[in-house]
Amino acid sequence: MSTDLAYRSATELAGLIRARAISPVEVVQAYLRRIDRWDGTLHAYVTVCREQALAEARTAEQALARGAPVGPLHGVPVAVKDQLDTAGIRTTSGSRLHAGRVPAEDAAVVARLRAAGAILLGKLNLTEFALGGTLTYPFGQPRNPWDESRETGGSSSGSGIAAAAALAAATLGEDTGGSVRSPAAWCGVVGLRPTWGLVPRSGCVPVAWSMDAPGPLTRSVEDAALLLSVMGGPDGRDRWLRAAPVDPRADLERGAGGLSIGVVTTLVDGPDTDREVREAVRRAAETLGGLGARVGDVALPLVPMAGAVFMALADGEAAAWHHATLRERGGEYDAGTRRRLLTAALLPATLVQQAARARAAIRAQVDEALSRFDVLLAPTAPTAAPAIAAGQAPIASRGEAGRRFFTRRSYTTPASLAGVPALSVPCGFTAGGLPIGLQLIGRRFDEATLLRAGRAYERAAGWAGRRPPLPD
Amino acid sequence: MRDLGPDQVRALAAAAGLPLDGEDLDEVTHRLNAFVEALGGLAALDLAGAEPAPTLPPDPPAGSPTVTR
Repeated sequence: MSTDLAYRSATELAGLIRARAISPVEVVQAYLRRIDRWDGTLHAYVTVCREQALAEARTAEQALARGAPVGPLHGVPVAVKDQLDTAGIRTTSGSRLHAGRVPAEDAAVVARLRAAGAILLGKLNLTEFALGGTLTYPFGQPRNPWDESRETGGSSSGSGIAAAAALAAATLGEDTGGSVRSPAAWCGVVGLRPTWGLVPRSGCVPVAWSMDAPGPLTRSVEDAALLLSVMGGPDGRDRWLRAAPVDPRADLERGAGGLSIGVVTTLVDGPDTDREVREAVRRAAETLGGLGARVGDVALPLVPMAGAVFMALADGEAAAWHHATLRERGGEYDAGTRRRLLTAALLPATLVQQAARARAAIRAQVDEALSRFDVLLAPTAPTAAPAIAAGQAPIASRGEAGRRFFTRRSYTTPASLAGVPALSVPCGFTAGGLPIGLQLIGRRFDEATLLRAGRAYERAAGWAGRRPPLPD
Repeated sequence: MRDLGPDQVRALAAAAGLPLDGEDLDEVTHRLNAFVEALGGLAALDLAGAEPAPTLPPDPPAGSPTVTR
């Protein structure tokens, strides 16, 4: 019974709690039971706020009992990536270096979820400093709920696990180059990277200032829209935010009829895309066509370079932020993180500037495609989740380094480099039972159309609601 | 461009005040050479008009340059 409750969507839970059909205390307890049962294996959480969450649930229950006005997430238990500051609760960024760091204030997005009534269940595991490529996780190796020998995707690893395994009603991650979309795809849930400039980054430990974008991971597109509806808009601290937040729910149920969808052939038919992934994305395009969308092909010739361009720029920004610590306490980083930061610190400036110009060119190609299509379609990742062991083998050549670090990132980083929103939704499973992610890319600040397309596909395709094999 | 060797990479790191040796040195050398190879291809692109603005204003200017291979 408690498992069924835990798998309810955040939207459903909010409605049931508001109607006093269930108690927020009962809901929090259901998630705590699942965390007790599964987190020792999956390692989604760095910190579980057990007593605080129960106390907040009791307060939420009392507010309802006295008829107080409540927010859209009143009593809904959420968990957030441990890159997002939480007042009085340690925020580790997945690193031993920050193991004792306790912020004084909530990150803006955490404060907004709380103001909307959400209850914080805890802080979620991630690759060290949200960089990806961690070899040894200080707070436990994140494991994929669909197959514990597989990667979860990163860097918002725990956010993907907790959403997929119903260890929270919904979660927050942060997406610099795919860190929300990749775990969403590999864990079989929905992940939204909002437009850069829509959601405040204040209180989010930075990876790359010019691309960081906090976003939700959920079990439905409807829930992603619900969370985004309370996350956007100026906060007085992040100076790059657009003044007027968008309403992501405006067109959610309008269907796909009349939309134009461009299938990015460069990625769908690219040599690195697995056959099962290619076929699933093509079937998704046919599904959207069957719903009345106009579907056509579009090539983005520069996107195969996007992974390397992204890493030159984002890792350079990260290396600048970490430079002093890397010099003084380099041995305390995970070896994978340290090597990534050292590499970025040594890149020639001329190459970085060439990458910055290539970024403008990739952005122009994405913008041009989005001038012809409302939404672009591509795989979120070229493969389903690989084995954990495959990512831990030493890198023995230049070619291997390129394949491991650039290839997969070329699928998610075009949206990051262009600053446009992108959504990953489940679009099928491999023969081995691993989830496949469909990526939808939209116009800047047009999350409403992006989520509308994703919602129409989700309803028609029926992949949402599948549960990983985790017995009670 | 020829691949960088471990001695060259160690010298670069020393100049930047960054300690680098052992397995870290081998792997950073491979990673740096992967970057040099991947980004070296950018020299063949026509990037005229592609200004390296890192961020966009909330409402981007019209007429962004279109670049093709």
